[in-house]
Amino acid sequence: MKISIQGLTKKYGDFKAVDGLTLDIESGELVGLLGPSGCGKSTTLFMLSGLTDPTEGTILFGDTDVTRIPPEDREIGLVFQNYALYPHMSVLDNIMFPLINRKVPKKVAKERAEAMAEIVHLEGLLQRKPKALSGGQQQRVAIARALVKEPQVLLLDEPLSNLDAKLRVETREEIRRIQQEVKITTIFVTHDQEEAMSISDRIAVMDAGVLQQFEKPQDMYLNPVNTFVANFLGTPQINMFDGEVTDEGIFLGGNLVRARADFADKLTPIPNGTYKMGIRPEHFELVDDGVPATADRVLMTGRELQVFFHLGETPFRLLTHSDQRLYQGSEFNLQVRRAQLMIFSEDNLTLAKV
Amino acid sequence: MKDYSSPVYTVRRKLRPFKGFLYLLPSIIVLCVFTIYPLIKTFIMSFMEDYNLVKGTYTAINLENYKELFADETFLAALKNTGIYVVFVVPISVVLSLIIAVFINDVVRGKALFQTLYFLPYVTSVIAIGLVWRWMFNSNYGLINSILNVFGIESIGWLNETKYAMPALIIFSVWKSLAFNILIFLSGLQTIPQDIYRAARVDSTPKMRVFFKLTVPQMRPIIVYAFMMGFISAFKVYNEVYSLFGGTRAGPANSAITVVYYIYTKFYNSYRYGIAAAAAVVLFVIIFVFTMIERYVTRDRDKVKSK
Repeated sequence: MKISIQGLTKKYGDFKAVDGLTLDIESGELVGLLGPSGCGKSTTLFMLSGLTDPTEGTILFGDTDVTRIPPEDREIGLVFQNYALYPHMSVLDNIMFPLINRKVPKKVAKERAEAMAEIVHLEGLLQRKPKALSGGQQQRVAIARALVKEPQVLLLDEPLSNLDAKLRVETREEIRRIQQEVKITTIFVTHDQEEAMSISDRIAVMDAGVLQQFEKPQDMYLNPVNTFVANFLGTPQINMFDGEVTDEGIFLGGNLVRARADFADKLTPIPNGTYKMGIRPEHFELVDDGVPATADRVLMTGRELQVFFHLGETPFRLLTHSDQRLYQGSEFNLQVRRAQLMIFSEDNLTLAKV
Repeated sequence: MKDYSSPVYTVRRKLRPFKGFLYLLPSIIVLCVFTIYPLIKTFIMSFMEDYNLVKGTYTAINLENYKELFADETFLAALKNTGIYVVFVVPISVVLSLIIAVFINDVVRGKALFQTLYFLPYVTSVIAIGLVWRWMFNSNYGLINSILNVFGIESIGWLNETKYAMPALIIFSVWKSLAFNILIFLSGLQTIPQDIYRAARVDSTPKMRVFFKLTVPQMRPIIVYAFMMGFISAFKVYNEVYSLFGGTRAGPANSAITVVYYIYTKFYNSYRYGIAAAAAVVLFVIIFVFTMIERYVTRDRDKVKSK
């Protein structure tokens, strides 16, 4: 089912929780709504579910305008952040509940519930009460209950936030697998950028109710449209600083890091001046002859080393392989990877990557 | 540095486990004087023949009081009335209040107003309420009969015909006990996570099914509690009888007499202390057995199984 959101707005008094959101989601796509808390992503999800009425705008499921259709008639499956399982019912009864509501004969309902339980790997737990299940299992019951009625759209509100770190990784892959298996258009809300990037076909990043960028995870990570997206995606965070552009090239704390000749051909001309710039920590390269720097602090995280250093007054962080022998006080030379230095305009939009 | 090996500290350390009892002592004393002692005294009194409360004399220790009690038709009537009262008032009140509470809980605006309105009877004196209801039940100019007349039903002598005394008492008591039940149901409803209802909506659950399959099971412990408290207080009904029938008698020809009313009359009006005590013991045993049975019937089967 294709979903088309046009100019969706939700106001609470004067506060705009969601402001003119327009999105087109392809059939069978898994889309992550990503943003910090209070950015309007959950409000958007609840407007899609019909539990919240939009102030303005329209929502189309396929060619049908569902904006004023109540949730019970929208053919959606919704998974709540806290799962909202019916606590006094067994797993089987929970999954069967939506079918019984639709007057599906009990025998058929049971078969379909059992088949669905198998897809989400819950067989053998059907007689348990939700309380006797782990968080991940409860999550899968919630997904099974949402999917058993064969909805057109699956909506998940922060599906992984109540799970511990290890389970989170497993469950997100599980969600991806189930989604692929059922081939259902799915929208999920998260504030975890890694989670969003790892399973989404496309990510919609929102801030203060406004859509910032809607893009494939990799393209968004490499080509953020503005400083907000650049900052929000990636751990450790992107290095943000003020850099100088002169006739010679780009200077960072008095060091030339990119010669003018290397980016003279950019489509957007970059006049001389001070700009907000960004470099991802992994886009620094250690070289024999480059900008000299001294390690203030080195953090060993296993696969990588995080090296903290200064260029001029500005603090930076770089990521390198852990086979590099770098310690506190080590001196090294670095350069910035080609086309990975982001230059932003005064109003925080990305001007160029040089 | 204090010398913690000195005898003062040793004594203190040894006494520490008993310190808790010291804090409990005031309430234990009050409890003993006003609850435990009267309880035991009543029990003993019920076996004393011709007990005189003032002089403290009695003729023998035997079961005469109980024999007389069960031979007394008024007591048997009181037992029967109390039984009828309990069976009607408690279930009707619990079910009605649950339904009203669910409706109030769904009200978006003015919820506090409705809560206050329904709670008013609880904080108003029973005597005052009784006065109002006596007027409403009045056979000639009462509100209830006026309404019945509108629908072509003839006036009923609520308070002066023996067969209507119990129904009048039951209607009055149901109304009066709604307040407390609605209050506890409302607070119970607020503890049910709202997401369950949202999930039920997305699952296209019919309204009745939401009530019976979600609300009632979620409210189960509170419903059990309401029943339990309702039964206990209904067995002890007295105020309602006193206030509705004006305090001189328990309805026409004592037709609405209850056990506690009987105890009260025997004690204060007939000075039959032994009989009153025996009736109190009978009531105690009935409530005790009833509560035990209720606890057994309504026990949480899941918990029993998992243990």
